[in-house]
Amino acid sequence: MADRAFDTRRLPGAATLAIACFAILYLPMVILVANSFNEGRVIGQWEGLSLHWYGKALQNEAFVAAAKTSLILATLAAMIATITATMAALATTRTRGFKGEGAIHITLNQPIMVPEIVLAIALLIIIAQIKQATGYSGLGYLVIAHSAFCIPFAYMPIRARLEGMDLTLETAAADLYASRFYAFRKVTLPLLAPAILAGFMLAFVISLDDVVISDFLKSPGQDTLPTYLLGELKRNLTSEIYAISSLLLLISVLIVGGSWLLTRKKT
Amino acid sequence: MLDLRNLTKRFGKGDSAVTALHEVSFSITEGEFFTLLGPSGCGKTTLLRLIAGFEPPTSGALVLDGRDIAHTPPNRRPVNTVFQNYALFPHLTVAENVGFALGAQGRPKVEIAETVTRMLDLVQLSHLAQRKSGELSGGQQQRVALARALAPKPRILLLDEPLSALDMKLRKEMQVELKRLQQETGLTFIFVTHDQEEALTMSDRIAVMGGGRIQQIASPRELYDQPANRFVAGFIGETNFLAATCAAGRLILPQAATTLPVAHADGPVTLMVRPEHVVLAGAQPDALTLTAQVDRLVYFGTDTHVHLHLADGCTLVARVQNGLRGGLPCRQGETIPVSLPGDALHLLPQEAG
Ligand SMILES: Nc1ncnc2c1ncn2[C@@H]1O[C@H](COP(=O)(O)OP(=O)(O)OP(=O)(O)O)[C@@H](O)[C@H]1O
Ligand SMILES: [Mg+2]
Repeated sequence: MADRAFDTRRLPGAATLAIACFAILYLPMVILVANSFNEGRVIGQWEGLSLHWYGKALQNEAFVAAAKTSLILATLAAMIATITATMAALATTRTRGFKGEGAIHITLNQPIMVPEIVLAIALLIIIAQIKQATGYSGLGYLVIAHSAFCIPFAYMPIRARLEGMDLTLETAAADLYASRFYAFRKVTLPLLAPAILAGFMLAFVISLDDVVISDFLKSPGQDTLPTYLLGELKRNLTSEIYAISSLLLLISVLIVGGSWLLTRKKT
Repeated sequence: MLDLRNLTKRFGKGDSAVTALHEVSFSITEGEFFTLLGPSGCGKTTLLRLIAGFEPPTSGALVLDGRDIAHTPPNRRPVNTVFQNYALFPHLTVAENVGFALGAQGRPKVEIAETVTRMLDLVQLSHLAQRKSGELSGGQQQRVALARALAPKPRILLLDEPLSALDMKLRKEMQVELKRLQQETGLTFIFVTHDQEEALTMSDRIAVMGGGRIQQIASPRELYDQPANRFVAGFIGETNFLAATCAAGRLILPQAATTLPVAHADGPVTLMVRPEHVVLAGAQPDALTLTAQVDRLVYFGTDTHVHLHLADGCTLVARVQNGLRGGLPCRQGETIPVSLPGDALHLLPQEAG
């Protein structure tokens, strides 16, 4: 404990830099949320506290439709991504090393490495063709695309948990007459559940937040919450946008917070 | 009841292969407390894992009640294990842990509840039935692990160094308790340890293992008095080894002034004598008499170890009980007569190296 090693806190200007970064991160959000409660319509001109814009937003059919689409999309995509990620994590940790395991790992994590815009363009080319060929223009394309890029986010916490799990527990279950399925249902799955839920929530938020891929792949007239906001922003800037953004922020914070609580180590 | 026939286990392939077990064969009878004893890495855990079914043997047969189970999966063998780290299910309560096997077998709820109550009584943990298994002390976890493995009434209970994580006092208590449990239930135990004292006090029979082979299987007393080879003699208790020769029916120790009659084939032998049998006095009847110099006296509470060396440099240790009238019969640096009584000598075949 005698002389401390390198301490970034002692660096000249470190505190100032940190404060500046945090200010840039959080101040705009504070202003945004504050503005969403502003009675008046002109930005930067406070006319009193009110929920006026929230009421307005909830009566806006286009917004409600976009919100509904986003929630359905995020739920479906997160579900598919989580199931796939769980199976992939089990396959890469619970089996003896097999050929191509590394390749699977890279494939699964591809969406983190490939620039989103590239993925979006690539998907657009194919999906445009399929749309033309089949005539189907529903939510399916978005569900599949979102599921795919959400997988790594669901995969990470699940795999981490599986790697940390004591393998002798599964051996013990087998010793105590449990079939593979019984052992999975009674031992592995319950121990994995918090990580699965955390993975689901992360995937949900990632899907909810996506702009680029959604904007490229959506069919005419289809909107998710972020693409709707983007469109509104180009047309008319009212405080309603602040209210909607604040709602989106609230959902994200709640879900990320929830997932953090779940994965936090107990005791 | 359980027959091991030429069980061999190799890990890895080609040049890097490790043979953990070489042609292990023995039989265990019903109701026996059977111990596998040996130094670290000698293959005790591997043997236990083969019997439990966590690992298939490379070759050989494992016959339980007349049926070869060498390749039966662990969940279909009537054999349960108490793991070294207990391996209790952390998300389940004590009662759920103990009832796990019966649940997996699909037994009715009433029967499970009844068995769990009985098992928790047996290990004196009824008051903790609803606790999560992570909220228990080491000794309590140990008992839960025991109750959990006993609940489905296995034909054989396997225990891999179950007491090694406990402190000395608790360990002694659990030794007594385990033995009581084994006698009360009449179950067959296969117990693994590297602690010779634990093995000697608890077992009906002990298999001493070394280098993946069974060195000797015998009762604790026989193992101590008549070890089959130098490895066993050296592993169980402390021992003096001296090179000697048998010729024309006499045992000849080059350093000794006397010889003894012996019923052993002529040739070189290793003479083994336990320190407590070495007498620090000359002119004993039917003994080999030598002269030795006292190097050191080491005090051990109930007794003192006297380190000696003979004229040719061979060393010898004698153990003398303390508190006897007259005190110690020698002092450091003294040259004294020493006797090795004939009935305390044990001859081993001379081994290379
Ligand atoms: N899965 C495995 N792969 C390769 N080698 C192994 C494996 N398991 C055990 N071995 C080797 O087999 C030998 C016996 O190991 P084992 O665990 O049975 O020893 P042990 O007698 O239980 O020792 P300890 O008292 O330290 O627990 C060791 O040399 C070990 O390195
Ligand atoms: Mg071991």
